Amino acid sequence: MKRLRAGGLRIGLMALALAALGACGHDAKQARLMVIITPSLDNPFFGQEAAGAEAKARELGYQTLKFSHGDDAFKQSELIDTAIARNASAIILDNAGAQSSVAAVQKARNVGIPVFLIDREIAARGIATAQIVSNNYQGAMLGAQAFAQAMGEKGPYVELVGKESDTNAAIRSKGFHEVLDQYPDLRMTARQSANWSQSEAFTKVQSILQAHPEIKGVIAGNDTMAMGAIAALQGAGRGDVAVVGFDGSNDVRDAISDGKAAATVLQPAWRQAQFAVELADKYLREGKTGQAEKLIMDCLLITRANAAQLSNFALK
Amino acid sequence: MTEGKILTMNGAGQAVSSDYAMTLLLKFRTVLALVLVVAIFAVLAPNFLTVANALIMLKHIAIVAILAIGMSFVILTGGIDLSVGSIAGLAGMVAGALIINGLPLTALGVVVYPSVPAVVGLVLLVGVGIGLFNGLLINRFQVAPFIATLGTLYMARGAAMLMSNGETFPNLIGNPALGNEGFSRIGAGLLLGIPAPVWLLAVIAAGAAFVAGSTTFGRRVYAVGGSERAALLSGVRVDQVKYAVYAISGAMAALVGVLIASDLVAAHPASGESFELNGIAAVVLGGASLTGGRGTIVGTLIGACVIGVLGDGMVMVGISEFWQMVIKGGVIVTAVVLDRLQERLG
Repeated sequence: MKRLRAGGLRIGLMALALAALGACGHDAKQARLMVIITPSLDNPFFGQEAAGAEAKARELGYQTLKFSHGDDAFKQSELIDTAIARNASAIILDNAGAQSSVAAVQKARNVGIPVFLIDREIAARGIATAQIVSNNYQGAMLGAQAFAQAMGEKGPYVELVGKESDTNAAIRSKGFHEVLDQYPDLRMTARQSANWSQSEAFTKVQSILQAHPEIKGVIAGNDTMAMGAIAALQGAGRGDVAVVGFDGSNDVRDAISDGKAAATVLQPAWRQAQFAVELADKYLREGKTGQAEKLIMDCLLITRANAAQLSNFALK
Repeated sequence: MTEGKILTMNGAGQAVSSDYAMTLLLKFRTVLALVLVVAIFAVLAPNFLTVANALIMLKHIAIVAILAIGMSFVILTGGIDLSVGSIAGLAGMVAGALIINGLPLTALGVVVYPSVPAVVGLVLLVGVGIGLFNGLLINRFQVAPFIATLGTLYMARGAAMLMSNGETFPNLIGNPALGNEGFSRIGAGLLLGIPAPVWLLAVIAAGAAFVAGSTTFGRRVYAVGGSERAALLSGVRVDQVKYAVYAISGAMAALVGVLIASDLVAAHPASGESFELNGIAAVVLGGASLTGGRGTIVGTLIGACVIGVLGDGMVMVGISEFWQMVIKGGVIVTAVVLDRLQERLG
């Protein structure tokens, strides 16, 4: 009896699997698939990036699948396998590391699936069909310029760095210092990584405020850390400390409007993701993108003057 | 092992006193570790020994300690609760959702906006519920605690992400018209100049120390951890004890989630990631045995202080993130090595 039931179950499962396979095959004929892989869906920046790509792909008549790799190169490799197994037409990828992503992108290319990189580049040319990145260095310099002005070009400040294993954390930090180190009266009294995290930035800024109550500014490698810093500064009644972030999130936009932050730097995440999908579509139809592999999009400074026009990582 | 002990008792006076000093040193190693880290940072970090900094550190310690106190009960029974970090994340999200979106009562077709105390109550119930679910898996289905709570770790984190599709609930200040303002006072409020989370910790630590040390329930917790079979044979309802400890741990985790969300005036679904490891580290630093039956709430509290002071102190000195991880790991490993030594010396 038991055996019979088990047999029945197995047949049922097989039928289900066949049905699923059939459904896949059917879909593949009807609509082509674009797989969108980003580091996480719970960070508003990456969330909007994925949403922007998805919206454009749907608009162009593609099916979409959204995944996140959590900055884990191994998980990313598995997701690329999934995309290959699902016979994706193209992959839009915000990768998990310049060096550690090369093999995964190569794997997709080997089976003829073009990969369009956004936000972060990889350490190899000729593998991805396009690499569309924000000019993080230029953006960081914009942010640093606004920061120096907000601090009156003098005084001690704190730098919050992103995850130190992430290329963009280092590039932004370099861009900041390219500008800030030219002001002899600006002095960095503390530099800590808060791993892009709001709660980590919050507790670390609280502690730094204790060690260095004299600070006049906090420059952060992204907006979530800037928000953590603002929460700590507001809690300590230090509304006088200038805060500059990076990304252009709605949260920091509101903080700028309320006078709690001086500026942030907008990475056009939404536009970049949509552009990647447009290029992918063109490539699938015409066999070429008609553009160089590496495309750099400049960042924009967001201050009180234009904060109101910013929404979901796009300037209206 | 036995030989060593006999030698200690019968050997020369010299050996006894040095052994005695060693035992004493080991016994108070957590306190010594705390004194040591405080002393080091008092020298290295500017403004470390100030009242203001002490209060900030106590606030940070409260987050670790409240979680670790809940974890202590679980570990005392010989179990482990890996789901606490995720429960904290989910709890913050539930609080955020209740404040911003209210509680939709679909049967009545209305949306109720609970007051802040009611929000906290509901969130604690969520924590208790997940704890009881852990207990159910462990008691009824005989799932090892490590696996059961690993499962709920993922489920609770996923649920937290699902609540807002991964987005943050910002500006949890409430609305006077809805009568749900004041959420930020839980984490950021002051009473007699001392932050509210520190008061909470004081009350919880005193209560937990009393429950663990002076009640029948406390004795049963130790009995289950000492030998589950012996406890069962002497009439202890082991399953009830286990339900209770996981429920306590879930409630403490939920409270931590509320404190974090309140402090940031925002709820982020990834909050509390890897907090379970800090909690376990605090309990182990406090001298508890992961096999159960040995450990104290006071020990856990001191362990949490070591973790908290170490973390804040390293930031104040400006040590790089990578070294911070190495040093923290080193401290934990050293504590466990000393623990083994103490067991051997008796």
